[in-house]
Amino acid sequence: MTENTVSEIERMVVTRVFDAPRELVWKAWTDPKYVMQWWGPKGFTAPVCKMDFRVGGKSLFCMKTPDGQEFWNAVEYHEIVLHEKIVSDMYFSDSKGNKIEPAELGIEHEAIDGAYDVTIFEDLGNGQTKLTHIGNEPMESAKNSGQLEGWNQILDKIAAVVAGLVQAK
Amino acid sequence: MIERLSHGPASVHGLTEPFALSQQMISKHIACLVRARIVIKTKCGRESVCTLRPEAIKTVSDWAFNYRRFWEESFDKLEIVVNQMKKEEVRDDRKHG
Repeated sequence: MTENTVSEIERMVVTRVFDAPRELVWKAWTDPKYVMQWWGPKGFTAPVCKMDFRVGGKSLFCMKTPDGQEFWNAVEYHEIVLHEKIVSDMYFSDSKGNKIEPAELGIEHEAIDGAYDVTIFEDLGNGQTKLTHIGNEPMESAKNSGQLEGWNQILDKIAAVVAGLVQAK
Repeated sequence: MIERLSHGPASVHGLTEPFALSQQMISKHIACLVRARIVIKTKCGRESVCTLRPEAIKTVSDWAFNYRRFWEESFDKLEIVVNQMKKEEVRDDRKHG
């Protein structure tokens, strides 16, 4: 048991407390009508949002960068506990939902093999909800990518991605 | 190599010089960069000239803080949506109540 704990990779975690009841936050997270309004970073839009929100179901999201570039993500649901927890697997895909490697898109994302995304909805009482998203990315990698970096570092990363492509052959 | 190309286009010969590698190895590396659509290779007379594909760099720079930023900024927007939903719910309650 102890060995497992030691070898487990610390994951990227994003939390947020909402001044709203849990059912509402759940709805905003699971209803495509609302997901379209928030999916993707600042300045991005979400023109497509097809959701099949059930265990075994798969959703497809499109996010568009401010300069019009489209990125697609698919999410598969493994476990759903109403108003409490969602265990899913999100990955970059094409517009049909077929998985593609982030590096192919020039995106750096280090995923942990066999790990899932876990989203937890906690009722804090007093009408507040704490949302925790445990992403499939090692903490270290998230920390590194969380900093605004110099041009050369970005270039180094591309070089590393390319080196990976070379090795993969 | 990408560092060198970030200063401007370069010939395959020019790219080989700073490295202790054969031109054959360098060409193989360039072929990978071209396949990954990071570099564009064009013929200029007898020399092949390599140019960094600006879109490729832009994508990566846009996503340099990618995954965490994706979630943090999505959460920012989610917060706005949730607040809006809350307001609408209050309005609906008033209407029905």
